[in-house]
Amino acid sequence: MTRKIHPAVVSAQPFQVANLRPTDRLFEDEEGRDRLEKAISRYPDKRAALLPMLAYAQERNGWVSPESMQQVAEALDLTPAYVNSVATFYTMYNKHPTGRHMIQVCTCVACHLCGGEEVFEAFLEATGTVPGAMSEDGKYVVMEAECLGACGFATAVQVNDRYFENVTPETVGEVLARLEQDGGE
Amino acid sequence: MSEHVVSLTVDGVEVKVPAGTPVIQAAERAGSVVPHYCYHPGIPSRPAQCRMCLVEIEGQPKLQPSCVMIAQEGMIVHTQSEQALEARRSVIEFLLLNHPLDCPICDAAGQCMLQDYAYETGQLSSRYEEPKLVLGRDRIAEDILYFADRCIICTRCVRFMEDIAGDNSLVVAQRGHKAYIDTFPGQELEHAFRGNIVDVCPVGALVHEDFVFKARAWDMDTAPGICAGCSQGCNIEVNVKENQVVRVKPRYNADVNGYWMCDEGRRHLVMANRGLRLDVPMIRRGDVLEAVTWSEAIEWIAASAPWGAGGVAVVHPGESNETLFALRELIGALGIAGGGYRMSRGEEVELPGFPRLKLRQDRAPNGAGAELFGFSETDAVPVPEAGQTLLVAGDRLLDAGSDYGAQAGFYVYLGTHMTEGASSATVILPLAGAGEADGTYVNFDGLVQRFHQAMQPPGVARPGWMVIDRLLREVEPDRPPMRDVAAAFGSMAAATPELEGLSWRGLGLKGGRTAGRATVTGAR
Repeated sequence: MTRKIHPAVVSAQPFQVANLRPTDRLFEDEEGRDRLEKAISRYPDKRAALLPMLAYAQERNGWVSPESMQQVAEALDLTPAYVNSVATFYTMYNKHPTGRHMIQVCTCVACHLCGGEEVFEAFLEATGTVPGAMSEDGKYVVMEAECLGACGFATAVQVNDRYFENVTPETVGEVLARLEQDGGE
Repeated sequence: MSEHVVSLTVDGVEVKVPAGTPVIQAAERAGSVVPHYCYHPGIPSRPAQCRMCLVEIEGQPKLQPSCVMIAQEGMIVHTQSEQALEARRSVIEFLLLNHPLDCPICDAAGQCMLQDYAYETGQLSSRYEEPKLVLGRDRIAEDILYFADRCIICTRCVRFMEDIAGDNSLVVAQRGHKAYIDTFPGQELEHAFRGNIVDVCPVGALVHEDFVFKARAWDMDTAPGICAGCSQGCNIEVNVKENQVVRVKPRYNADVNGYWMCDEGRRHLVMANRGLRLDVPMIRRGDVLEAVTWSEAIEWIAASAPWGAGGVAVVHPGESNETLFALRELIGALGIAGGGYRMSRGEEVELPGFPRLKLRQDRAPNGAGAELFGFSETDAVPVPEAGQTLLVAGDRLLDAGSDYGAQAGFYVYLGTHMTEGASSATVILPLAGAGEADGTYVNFDGLVQRFHQAMQPPGVARPGWMVIDRLLREVEPDRPPMRDVAAAFGSMAAATPELEGLSWRGLGLKGGRTAGRATVTGAR
């Protein structure tokens, strides 16, 4: 599946789409080259296209791997070390594989008051994982998230680029069942 | 008042500084050293991120970082006001939150800016009760270790690599309290000048692996030296413990090397004196070389050398001017018409952010000095005709076999190391090596620079000029003696027009120019 993306929104894409189209080489197919060219064309210098290109790597692979960093560095004439420095500065670039479903549970103020911590614990228990680490079958990773902007519907849970609202520890099983049913999309 | 000069008051002292000077430098001129971490006078970028150099400036509502605040006319600065001290105490408290306080095993202890300022401004105990964050340690380069827990993220190392070395492969990874210095995972820092990141580190976060746990700062003896690695003549500080060089650091000299030096130079002196050293004079008696005392050796040579008979000679561009001058006298007395020297060469390495400093092609410190005293470069060691006199001084004859010089009538070898090529020598005189004697070099640029003895030579080895002076006075008792290195320099300068007006004392630690620099040729 290839989505055509207008250059104006190239850096405003959702910051993770887990492991849907894993690839070794980012900029060797038409889509990759196209995204690179569009991102570079938006800024006065090449270096500024670094953030959108890291986002693109994550969008494609679900995480920003050291290999991706090297490819981005090469494409933008930067050192891999510099790309690593930027990628590690931002917490929303995943530096580890995220599994098929990246489950982010909001534990910020509103959700916390409505039991976000319990929902988080319930997800960990249901998937048998520890925070931030991928389950053995590669299906899930569960992590805490800062405010997801859905305070009216606490607790909010984001799975890849999809929102689940009013989640309670009791409905965690339901959410997982729906993920199972829908596959990755 | 010139518009290029501004005057300001720092802690009640009025100073005049050139326009554009940062307050921290103006304060230094007024005698107030403002504590700082991220500011380094040799690194152009100033992020003002350590917040240690905050000072109070009258009329400004908040404290200002003095490293980036430019001195203005009439400014009134207080570096020691209660507000400034309080701010500094807070910075120290923050820096020490996760600091392991492992000073007893830290190589920087005693030379650590965090330790110094914590003693000066900090509190006796911390108010922080949480467990400390442990980040561990890492290898940054083949020979450099990084202790992340000790690091205060001043980014001097990152900015040295970026601004001066032009290499963007050392970075700050992560952020906030988890931040650390790193290269790309799996890669190491590879740059001929990378060792300087250890020198700019204000704490013990970056250390040379070959110095780790070797010596405490207060156990080392220190002498000012000149790097003998190439013809640049970098000013260095030689740290010695128990008569062994444990560390070489650059010593500031704006005209030559600024604050920097290359890694090859750092290793050079540490390695130079290893190997089988000559420590006693030897003269040939039949088939064997017999160890003798200096007086015996000198008297024997004076009596048996074929003075004035001619021959061939080779010297080494690593010898000091004083020794080369004495050698010229000795060669003259032996009747040898001129000598050669061999120069080892390597690739030139530049330092983009400080173009004055390069690792030069000539990998010996005193090629210009050898030229100055009439020696000329040759490719091969001279081969004496049968019965001729052969003099080898300093050249280690690494490419000569054990039969080298066997046909010579009289073979004098002056050197630091026993070598196969000296096996046939008639007489072997042990010389003090690099770092073991006082003297001067002329660098590629015609600058005459003094270096000082940092350790004792092995056995009874002595500086070349001292040995030769003693020998020549045995032959010609009327010669004026070179009683010390200053006298040796004096005799040399008196006989050398290019050194006119220079004296040992006058050279000081910053060196002096040769008169008529154009005459010092051949140096690269």
